[in-house]
Amino acid sequence: MEQRKGWLSQLFFKKEATNILYVPALILFAVFTFYPLIYGLKISFTNWNGYSQNYGYVGFLNYIELFKDKYFLNAIKNTLIFGFGCTIFQQIIGLAVAITLDHKFFGRNFSRIVIYLPVLVSPVIMGIIYYLFLHYNYGALNDIVVLLGYERIAWLSKENWALIAIVIVNTLQFCGISMIIYLAGLQNIPDMYYEAAKIDGATDFQAFKYITIPFLYPAVITSVTINLIGGLKLFDVIKVLTNGGPGYSTNSISTLIDITYFNAQNAGYASSMGVFLFAMILIVTITLHKVLKKGEVEV
Amino acid sequence: MKIKKIQNLHWKIPAGLMVLLMIFLQLVPFYITLAVAFKPKTDLSSRWMIPTSIYFDNFLTAISRGRILTAMLNSLLVTSVAILLICLLGAFAGYPLARIKSRFNKIVLMTILGVMMIPPLSVLVPLYSMMNKINGVNTYWGIILIVTTGQLPLSVFLYSSFISSIPVELEEAALLDGCNYIQIFNRIILPLLKPVTASVIILTGIFVWNEYQLSLYILSSPAKRTIAPAIGAFFSQSSSNLGAAAAAALLGVLPLVVLYLFLQKYFIKGMIDSALK
Amino acid sequence: MKKSLLLVLVALIAVLMTASCSSSGEKKIEFMTGTGVDTPLFALYETLAKEFEAKNKNVKIELIPSSTNHEGEVKTRLASGDAPDIWMTHGWSKGRYAEYLVDLSKEKWAKDLQNGLKPVMLGKNGELYAFPIDLDIAGIIYSQTALDAAGVSIDSINTWDDFIAACEKLKAAGKTPLAVAGKDRWPTGLFIDWIAPGVMITQNSKEADLMSGKFPVAEWKQTLDVVAKFRDKGIMNKDYSSATNNDIAMGLAKGDVGFTMCMNFVAMQAFELKPDAKIGYMQVPVMSANDKPYYVIGEKNALGIWKDSKSLKEAKAFISFLAQKDNLTKLATSVGSPAGLSTVNVDLKQLTASFERSTKFAGQPYFDRVFMPNGAWDAIVATTEGVVLKQMSIDEAVAKMKSEYEKLYNQQK
Repeated sequence: MEQRKGWLSQLFFKKEATNILYVPALILFAVFTFYPLIYGLKISFTNWNGYSQNYGYVGFLNYIELFKDKYFLNAIKNTLIFGFGCTIFQQIIGLAVAITLDHKFFGRNFSRIVIYLPVLVSPVIMGIIYYLFLHYNYGALNDIVVLLGYERIAWLSKENWALIAIVIVNTLQFCGISMIIYLAGLQNIPDMYYEAAKIDGATDFQAFKYITIPFLYPAVITSVTINLIGGLKLFDVIKVLTNGGPGYSTNSISTLIDITYFNAQNAGYASSMGVFLFAMILIVTITLHKVLKKGEVEV
Repeated sequence: MKIKKIQNLHWKIPAGLMVLLMIFLQLVPFYITLAVAFKPKTDLSSRWMIPTSIYFDNFLTAISRGRILTAMLNSLLVTSVAILLICLLGAFAGYPLARIKSRFNKIVLMTILGVMMIPPLSVLVPLYSMMNKINGVNTYWGIILIVTTGQLPLSVFLYSSFISSIPVELEEAALLDGCNYIQIFNRIILPLLKPVTASVIILTGIFVWNEYQLSLYILSSPAKRTIAPAIGAFFSQSSSNLGAAAAAALLGVLPLVVLYLFLQKYFIKGMIDSALK
Repeated sequence: MKKSLLLVLVALIAVLMTASCSSSGEKKIEFMTGTGVDTPLFALYETLAKEFEAKNKNVKIELIPSSTNHEGEVKTRLASGDAPDIWMTHGWSKGRYAEYLVDLSKEKWAKDLQNGLKPVMLGKNGELYAFPIDLDIAGIIYSQTALDAAGVSIDSINTWDDFIAACEKLKAAGKTPLAVAGKDRWPTGLFIDWIAPGVMITQNSKEADLMSGKFPVAEWKQTLDVVAKFRDKGIMNKDYSSATNNDIAMGLAKGDVGFTMCMNFVAMQAFELKPDAKIGYMQVPVMSANDKPYYVIGEKNALGIWKDSKSLKEAKAFISFLAQKDNLTKLATSVGSPAGLSTVNVDLKQLTASFERSTKFAGQPYFDRVFMPNGAWDAIVATTEGVVLKQMSIDEAVAKMKSEYEKLYNQQK
């Protein structure tokens, strides 16, 4: 890109012309995301069974059905639990660990590596390992329960336990991401602020509240966005840990779509769930983003 | 001397215990995987028990029957090309989106963020049909473009946040020197992007390497299979081989662990330098 | 630095290009096997495919191992008009996939179809849409070790009341009487396939009603009542909703589980864990002592050919090759079931005695595949599961089932 003085070069003296740089990305999105999504939207108005060549249009029937379907309403609730539950725990654990590991001590590097390690493992595999861990008859956890003289507990057979298990497994696996992000954020806070605070006689908690948190704000936005989307999209872990059970009680919208599409042969209905999920995640994330951005300005 | 240091002992003890607990919790799954991988199928002892003898058959099964090594090569190919595209296209897109805050660009940025949230399953069938029409099924380029699209939003998000934090003054000076915006991007912005690129590579690279749901369908041929579906092939509706799957999983995560250990310093440094604004 | 990166990129692209080329004139057969990559059956497919390729130089066979979602993979391919040349039809060659499959009834081997499979697999005019490797004869799988510990004999179990009494003895002996893989979901639906024939066919003859769109409300309720009894007597596994077939195989191998209602692959899995485990399968009980117990019969590993396959001739030749006596013997032996063709006798090893016992009883087809409209399976699973978990009352479950049945029946017409 040497100093060519052609019209092209002239064009790029206009700032707006750089907008062309996001065109390749938009093309990819158009082809591989929007096109399939619009197709899905079309399917959501049909009674397609998911594989046959013929189907009929049913108007808004699938969407009306959605709000009468107690399995679906329950899946919305679960999706929100997974999304917000995981995000909250990941922030708490990630931040607490990051603050501790921000200090020099023996084994600090080792701790950082180990806590981040599960992020590298595929969620499917992690789910299977935790399934072995929580298994009723042959699970590692129940081995301990029995050793302590108690009755075996069917961890994944009770709705509430199973929901908690899913949140914990996903939290443990991905809290390393929050830890790393917060660690990076913490190291960017100049020491002088803490020194000043100390001179002014601030307590640890005050220093945390008035220095650490405001400075970490950008890190919080990044970490929350990544974790929230991960939690709302959760699929693999649920599939291998509970498969949506007991019954339909731990399905997220994603896993319910899977069952409805492939098992119940009701692709039209499943597509309407997909459209709903997309809209829901979009609204949740945009709202949250606005709230967080607002917070940033106030600091 | 760091003042941030916790001075009171009563903070130190719970903090230390918490880190110890986390380390323990995070190592348990790896221990169980190791124990399962080194035990024969007929060993029905507790998952906590250390294998009584060295047993490598699961690894041999993973390699010979599961073709894990081929799968790792495939994953390496797909992941490296995808990462390259993710970084390039992400940096390109991040620049105008960070610098030109027009209404339209805000919509573009939000849309891209929205794309990040689409569950892969909801686009599976139309995506497969389309890939089939353009002969993209069972090809490396097909899956590369798909996973690139999947991870691109995160990359755009990180790059545009980072570029927003670079002072505009540099660019204004260059503009006065007679550079156009393409040259500014090339000469001023790109060199500054190294740290955030490290973050993008590690964050998206892991997801690409472990991608399962779409790869399973797009790469059905065993010769083209990537690592996650290759491990999945040890589970079918009427059979499963936990030992071999565990062995395959260990082999599959090994390159990432090595890479992570090797890049760990740069990674955290990259995260710090990028400040994640 | 930049140059070396560029070099790597160029090299990678070169690899991509060469990898996507294929030689012309070659006929490819894509075969979705529906079995895991390390199963004996898959290994055998590999060997036989190589043999076939050696004899037919222009043919290349690509074997695809399945994930836990074989059905989803097949449906995605069908939806895109890109079905594999051959796929395993998992019990649905006639009921669901017939319109996509080639009629194989004119093939040489077709005349040897096992008698037991004829009512299940043959269409109205004798069409045959798949080549059956094995015949799926299923009953209630039991662990002799567990039964011995509780002093239960399978000969004394003829009605569901007998069965429940036996389960209570097992419970008293500290065993899990009846284990079902609720986490895998579909095994719960087998309750209906196992119990319903005794209520709706052998006892009350509702076949005509079922086929003509009349849902037998009272009989369905009676069937679910049996399931509810299992639940209320506390004889089912405590981890029902988190158990998989793998776990149940383990329980059977260890002698902790008394009974399970599933196909024999569960027993085969148990033998893999403990080769000398004492496991067999017995007749399915009925409602009253006047009636006769039966076994459930269906297709299992049956292979269909896509009607629009570009390698139709080659695929048929490959299937005929698999149907050859010694090849089929090996295939059926590897899955531990009697062969799908009557020309072949298979050594069933640990299950021989059970199989011989089964020949003395009548066979019933998988109830849902014959009498329920295509697509009803998931509703069967969901409603039965609802009853087991007390998330649904029996009346609710029956009502839901009735509406699904009527909806799907009308769609099918």
